[in-house]
Amino acid sequence: MGKTVYKKLKGSQSFRQRLLLSTLSSTPITIEDIRPNQTYSGLAKHEISLLRLFDTVSDGCIVEIYETGTKLKYKPGTIMGGRVNHPFQCDVSRSIGYYLEPLIVLCLFAKEPLNIRLKGITNDSKDPSVDTFKSAAFHILKRFGVDFEAMSLKIESRGLPPNGGGEVVLSLPIVQSLTAVNWIDEGFVKKIRGVTFSTKVSSQFETSMIRAARGVVNPLVSDVHIFTDHRTGPPAGNSPGYGISLVAETTSGCYISVDTAAAHVRDEDTSGLADDVKKDLMPPEEIGEGIANTLLGEIAQSGVIDSSYQGLLFLLCALCPQDVSKVRVGKLSQHGIETLRNIKDFLDLTFIIKPDPDTQSVILKCIGCGMKNLSRKVS
Amino acid sequence: ILARKSPSLMQLVYGESTNNSTSMDEENDSSEDEENGDFFIPKEEIKKQYTRDGLDDGMVHTEDCSKCAKLMSQKWDEKDHGEIRNRFVSGNLAKAARR
Repeated sequence: MGKTVYKKLKGSQSFRQRLLLSTLSSTPITIEDIRPNQTYSGLAKHEISLLRLFDTVSDGCIVEIYETGTKLKYKPGTIMGGRVNHPFQCDVSRSIGYYLEPLIVLCLFAKEPLNIRLKGITNDSKDPSVDTFKSAAFHILKRFGVDFEAMSLKIESRGLPPNGGGEVVLSLPIVQSLTAVNWIDEGFVKKIRGVTFSTKVSSQFETSMIRAARGVVNPLVSDVHIFTDHRTGPPAGNSPGYGISLVAETTSGCYISVDTAAAHVRDEDTSGLADDVKKDLMPPEEIGEGIANTLLGEIAQSGVIDSSYQGLLFLLCALCPQDVSKVRVGKLSQHGIETLRNIKDFLDLTFIIKPDPDTQSVILKCIGCGMKNLSRKVS
Repeated sequence: ILARKSPSLMQLVYGESTNNSTSMDEENDSSEDEENGDFFIPKEEIKKQYTRDGLDDGMVHTEDCSKCAKLMSQKWDEKDHGEIRNRFVSGNLAKAARR
């Protein structure tokens, strides 16, 4: 029974991955200097909310937050997963996607399959929306051997900034270990699917977004279906807005996704003062056209995934058994690079990164860290 | 062998030195530091401090956010269209396969 040794970290960056990798590798951490020199110093609301979420799905983890919130001590517990009976309120300073990103990796290695109800913001322009989790992220997990049929994310009500009010139910299976991938064939785009939504506004906004998006993609591919999801009453949450998510499916089974939403801004900096000053939302035609162009931009990069999920992809590669994984992505994103650094920091695992001279893409190779699900019941 | 071919990318990701081509933002400089005696700390000092601690100052306190694709208002013009067309099944597959 030695004294616990804490890995010392600094700064507020990569908070989610640090917690995630700390938990998966059973490495206790301390983080100092969390936004020490800012107006709102210390841990942000969504970070504290995330700590609660980690606490909810695990057993015996110890969290200590010091005085001003600029220092944190975290000792991971056992990842339990299982059916969480109470709905979990995700702080509305970030959307549910922010919480889902680490959660869907963490709970693969839980004792029991996770079933949890999350409340908060389902769609915004900052984090991946719940729609693209269904249409893209789950397909990425599937590649690594996660049971696709057992994954589900049900959108019971939508919630937009600033007040949220959305509700989703997530079911996630567990794995004994992942399967390494050789995933470099990005294929050709054969169809585009999508969904638009509108909450507390006319469904006409959706029609306009779809028409504008189709105007951009239809000359390139004819198989385009964009569904609508008009919400009123309680399933529309607490704030008005609209948005769209698109996913391009390729001949080799890759899913390239993009999404965005138009809603009124969170007034966290002015704490309520901005209530009267509501700026006009971006017109639906601009959103539809803009998101379609964004999708083309992602497709042009020739990766097997879109840039938002680079972090998820690299993490999964690193958490594989000790086999070689090889993947192709477009331009390395800021978040992707940070992920690679965090993986090296916690798992001492380096990727071999090689640009593909013929395309804009980058090929990464690594040998997994040999992660096994230790919490899982032995049958 | 592979690493020799591409020192740049590996170095960009893992290298200690190198540039800040990936760096973001300036941090909010409005600070009221009451704990330390120093009321005002020049930003360079703070950065220096981080560098001393072995942290790449470009990455400190960047926002924790994976979504980087911003809404593109710029259209794909005709020239670009030719290029992207080959990423679709409707495009020239032979030409795309040759690359």
